[in-house]
Amino acid sequence: MSMPRETGSWSRVLGTLALAVGLTQLPWSGWALVVRPDFLLVTVLFWVLHRPERIGFGWAFCLGLLADFQDGAVFGQHAIAYAVAVYGVLFLRLRLLQFDPLRQAGQLFPILLAAQLTVLLVGWLAVRPPVGLAILLPVLTSTALWFVIALWQRAWHGKGMRGAE
Amino acid sequence: MAVPGQLTFARRLGPTARLAIWLAIGVACVVLDVRYQAMEGLRSGLSMVLHPVRVALRAPADVANEVADFFTRHRLLQQQRDALLAERSRLALTANTARDLKRENDELRALLALQARPGQQLVRAALLYQGHDWFGQKIVLDRGATAGLRNGLPVVDASGLMGQISQVYPGSSEVTLVTSPGQLTPVMIERTGQRGLVAGLGQGLLELRYMPSQTDVRVGDRLVTSGIDRIYPAAVPVARVTRIGRPQAGPYLRIEGLPLAGLERSRAALILVAQPVAVQQP
Repeated sequence: MSMPRETGSWSRVLGTLALAVGLTQLPWSGWALVVRPDFLLVTVLFWVLHRPERIGFGWAFCLGLLADFQDGAVFGQHAIAYAVAVYGVLFLRLRLLQFDPLRQAGQLFPILLAAQLTVLLVGWLAVRPPVGLAILLPVLTSTALWFVIALWQRAWHGKGMRGAE
Repeated sequence: MAVPGQLTFARRLGPTARLAIWLAIGVACVVLDVRYQAMEGLRSGLSMVLHPVRVALRAPADVANEVADFFTRHRLLQQQRDALLAERSRLALTANTARDLKRENDELRALLALQARPGQQLVRAALLYQGHDWFGQKIVLDRGATAGLRNGLPVVDASGLMGQISQVYPGSSEVTLVTSPGQLTPVMIERTGQRGLVAGLGQGLLELRYMPSQTDVRVGDRLVTSGIDRIYPAAVPVARVTRIGRPQAGPYLRIEGLPLAGLERSRAALILVAQPVAVQQP
């Protein structure tokens, strides 16, 4: 692995996850709420990509249940979507690690889209047909968030990443 | 070297198999929640864990509001200093203040009118968190079962009906908004008294359903609760009619309206706790 050992320590993993939960819990409203990126999913996928031995399906599923509670949605809706996204990242993992931030975000877009479509599908089947397609807007902001995080991570560990190529 | 009784290649399950297992668990969760309402324990547990976090994280927003207020007051002070020099701007400011007071007075009157209803107790609550479920619009208020709330109670603000409590936790409660898809509210047209049913359409819109095509309804009519459902008190404003369509097919009008309550703006809400009505057994 290209990153130094201490970057993936448990305290850092749990800290970023707690930060993601906190960001989601802020009192968002109006347009900001509609386009709010899925902080929790992006954080989970980041750690699945860089520390797959720590964060995997089980964590993603439990945090998905938490996301379901946060949104007042049916239990299982986000949990299933997060599991699907984790599978996508594991499937493309070695490939994703090769790319620069912009292309990595581009590769992650279909995974995030698949996760959101899973939310849509489960909600459709379990509750009622969706209203409008605004549900897909957070995919764009989540992708942008991933790009920013990947940029930041490369700036932080720049040499290590480049040395791994 | 192979040791008897030990696997030569200790294998974990592949990602596909693990995905399949978690998907099965997820589907089981959905079915348990939707069909059997078996996940309420988990819901209230999470609510107890996350409630302090929500309360704590409301603080930054409150501080931001405070700061914004501070700068507003500062600007107001500057305006008043200018007003001493220029008579006209002082008059303009007075007019502004008067309009503001009038609005405040109207709001208080609206609140008082609701308060005067018999057999009702009011619980004041503040908006804690706005949910982001795409299949139903919900908000979370900072009062719960400890304040005497229960499922089904109507929630209003100064200008109209906001929704109905759909989930009560010890210290907070979830309100399903009137505009949430599938939320039904019995109403009547205030001008004519004709009763009907309002359904949420999502995206901040309401629809008045099942009105025959000869119904006397106009754009601008107010819809108020009819009070025949034992849930909502009578005459709480719900919506204003904004569009009337007359489809060629079908016997009913297509009537759309906008909610009167500030669903997106209100930060405070009132919950009407009526005494439980004894329903006569047939």
